[in-house]
Amino acid sequence: MKDIARQSLSIKVECMDLLNNQIKKEAHASATYLAMASWCDQNGFFTGAKFFYKQAEEEREHMMKIFQFVIDAGGNALSPEISGIPHEYSSIVDIFENALDHEISVTKSIHNIVMKARELGDLATEKFLDWFVLEQVEEENTIRDILDMIELTGIEGVGLQIIDGKINDWID
Amino acid sequence: MEAVFSSKYYTFFQSDKERCFYIDFGQKVVRLSFCQLLALRQKVSNIRIEDHFDAELNTHGFEILALCNKEHLFVLNTLEIIDLKELLVGAFSMFEVSLSALV
Repeated sequence: MKDIARQSLSIKVECMDLLNNQIKKEAHASATYLAMASWCDQNGFFTGAKFFYKQAEEEREHMMKIFQFVIDAGGNALSPEISGIPHEYSSIVDIFENALDHEISVTKSIHNIVMKARELGDLATEKFLDWFVLEQVEEENTIRDILDMIELTGIEGVGLQIIDGKINDWID
Repeated sequence: MEAVFSSKYYTFFQSDKERCFYIDFGQKVVRLSFCQLLALRQKVSNIRIEDHFDAELNTHGFEILALCNKEHLFVLNTLEIIDLKELLVGAFSMFEVSLSALV
């Protein structure tokens, strides 16, 4: 008997499921950053808003990269349903702390898929995710650096205004 | 056409010649391409069987399943859904693309 399934799909079906979950996570991250951009814009952090609009676009690009990989591998890529996006934050610090938590959660999820792909001998998925592993180091580092800058600047007096201006250093 | 896996109610077949799969649902035999099979697997695995035991989440204990781009429509009860889940897990375990095929 021929293995028609293997002839049709280049990756393990369990990895395909995990990649579909990751597509959802990236879409959720993109929507969350869009909500953060909205908060920043409404609260006068215009550079912060610009930063999060860009982050939202980047997360969508990540999502599409995984989506295309699943399709190219012969899999069933699923368009994600997104709900439960928080829109309320207590401060600019709260925003960036939430953003860091979000990035850490995405990193953990990617590491989990890499470990699963390794366990299953799915080299295609493992190699594909190499870029994401390094990208996450950069993403986490960016948010950490901004949180350090906020702490150094302080939020007293014109601090918030300076913080918003300095965020521009992390917009390419 | 070769039988790959059978559960209590259903049988899963593969046709090398046609490069496709068939599921015998008892009252009807459905032809599926691999893409359609993946879509069915996704739909069935998304069904929360726990909901069938909650009168608010699933009042009548039935699922309406549209297959192959709405070409077929099935109304399945709780036992049939559990059996279909078992069939698909069993069938996929026979393929190399599955986890258990590596063992």
